[in-house]
Amino acid sequence: MLLQVKNLSAGYGNLEVVRGVSLHVCRGEIVGLLGANGAGKTSLLKSLVGLLPPRQGDIFVDGRPTRGQPAWRSISNSTVLVPEGKMIFGDMTVHENLLIGGYHNPDRLMQLEIVLDRFPRLRERISQLGGTLSGGEQQMLALGRALMCRPRLLLLDEPSLGLAPLLVKEVFNEIRKMRDLGVTVLLVEQNVTATLQVADRAYVMETGEIILEGEASELMHNPEVKRAYLGSTGKEVWE
Amino acid sequence: MNVFDRRYEMMPRAELEQLQLERLQALLARLKRHVRRYREKVAGLRVESLADLSRLPFTTPEEMAEGFPYGMFACPMREIIRLHTTIGPGGKPLVIGHTRNDLTQWGRLVARQLVASGVTANDVIQMCFGGGVYGAAGYLFGAQVVEASVIAEEPSHVDYQVAMLQNYQPTVLITTPTIALDIMQVIEQRRLDPQSLHLRTVLLSRPVSKETREQLAAGLFARVQCNFGLGEILDPGLCLECEAGCFHVHEDHFLAEVHESELVLTTLCREALPLLRYRTRVRCEMSRGKCACGRSGAMIVPGQRLDGRLCVKESPLYESQIADVLARTKAAGQPFTVNVSDGRLVVSIEISNDLFADTVWVVEGLKREIESDFLARLDVVAEVRFVNPRAKAMTQSDAENTYKRNITTG
Repeated sequence: MLLQVKNLSAGYGNLEVVRGVSLHVCRGEIVGLLGANGAGKTSLLKSLVGLLPPRQGDIFVDGRPTRGQPAWRSISNSTVLVPEGKMIFGDMTVHENLLIGGYHNPDRLMQLEIVLDRFPRLRERISQLGGTLSGGEQQMLALGRALMCRPRLLLLDEPSLGLAPLLVKEVFNEIRKMRDLGVTVLLVEQNVTATLQVADRAYVMETGEIILEGEASELMHNPEVKRAYLGSTGKEVWE
Repeated sequence: MNVFDRRYEMMPRAELEQLQLERLQALLARLKRHVRRYREKVAGLRVESLADLSRLPFTTPEEMAEGFPYGMFACPMREIIRLHTTIGPGGKPLVIGHTRNDLTQWGRLVARQLVASGVTANDVIQMCFGGGVYGAAGYLFGAQVVEASVIAEEPSHVDYQVAMLQNYQPTVLITTPTIALDIMQVIEQRRLDPQSLHLRTVLLSRPVSKETREQLAAGLFARVQCNFGLGEILDPGLCLECEAGCFHVHEDHFLAEVHESELVLTTLCREALPLLRYRTRVRCEMSRGKCACGRSGAMIVPGQRLDGRLCVKESPLYESQIADVLARTKAAGQPFTVNVSDGRLVVSIEISNDLFADTVWVVEGLKREIESDFLARLDVVAEVRFVNPRAKAMTQSDAENTYKRNITTG
């Protein structure tokens, strides 16, 4: 297991938004974490990298406990978070954005070539300012920047957010290819179908708890997933 | 060694426990949301580690019977695509629902047993359960997963079953111990050579004694393996018997514990009818040592029933069901004892002055009437005996000993 989370709780003030979550990601896997708005997915990711201090529970990356470590240290554990909304530096060029991603990597120039080979569109726009890229290109840049420090575990927070359907397809194709680079992915998404198509396994979150875990193919037609999104209770037998 | 699902069957213990914790937490969240009975019982409870399992409440067969028919279901009926029934305490029916995913999983779990028994896509399977398709349903799903050929025919008479063994040349026979013994007997009576059959494996639906197993292996000239299941949980598909002869629980799907010598099971993945710490009323020993086969699932040794359930020709039967049948006859209210011997139910009723007559045919008529009632209401062939109250044939403790003998040896 590359990532092992046991009974993790986190929150803001009096509000507990992640309530005793356990999950694991094995090496080389792409694991989806699905859930409606406000389910606690982003907070969970933030807890994993130390941006939101966990209140309870344990996090192990490659068997080493990482709970309580500052966020900057997660890079040295080869764990990289690609935050929601890309968060690229709009006033800097694509080249500069990528180099910042590889700040800790002494072989960053060599890695830059690998990333540019992976995303040829970025090579074409290498001198362009990040803010002038299209939504899809910005997402590619965010992915490329994350790959610059040669992560083993990539935490992706809603990479399809705000993208046109064609671009969503492109981004998910790139995520699928992460496996070839030996990168393990925990993919937080609201796009159920696209996520389950690329993922090996998935977890479904609802109001801070995981309510379902299984192989992606099993969850594809599971009505419980629909219920978690639409808020239907399933309490009545004859509903 | 044949393993169907290596990842889960041989999962290292630490990884398995992580998976169990995740699934248990998710199960608890679903139960709180969807099942009213559990919402009241587990409200406010949280599982932080597997050690917390002991703090969770039990589910009893009586509660399941109270929830008849759909009170324990965790999803709406439109998502349930199969309903099976079994008998609960006092002979009350229990309804077991399955969603599409449940059935898919069921097939995969049974496939683990079939593959462990050496079944492959090259095999032809004959199934004899004597109760139509329902007893064989799980095996059928498993066989489909393994892609073995299944003969979709089940003659009720043992002669035809033997004829099928000769004609279709099945390599695997899946049946109950009673039917297997019947088939073996016919083969012996007709002086057929069991080696002329193509049988390689006989898979029995429940555990039998070592002697019975050896007898069947010699009589049918095939390797004999057993299965163990529980109608309320999954039968078959709860565990598998490995090459080393150990029953391994599928621990990625079921959390097994032993409480006061009783097997207690939690279904981790079931969607339609999830059960939390279900008291199975089966005596059991469990260990988590290393098995020669390499599988990591807990090893169990199932024992006798703890609720006095009888087994007559593979059909479960409770004493209260017998009392119910008698209550509708002239023998209502009379003390009786029950004995199961050689697959036959013998009911000894104490005769009273009301029942006594000076002509034999009156008593004989009553006897026949009660026997036909047993057949009609319980589908059980029973032998009724009237006994003198002062000279009862056997004491209660003798009778109990008889049940035990018959339950374990079939």
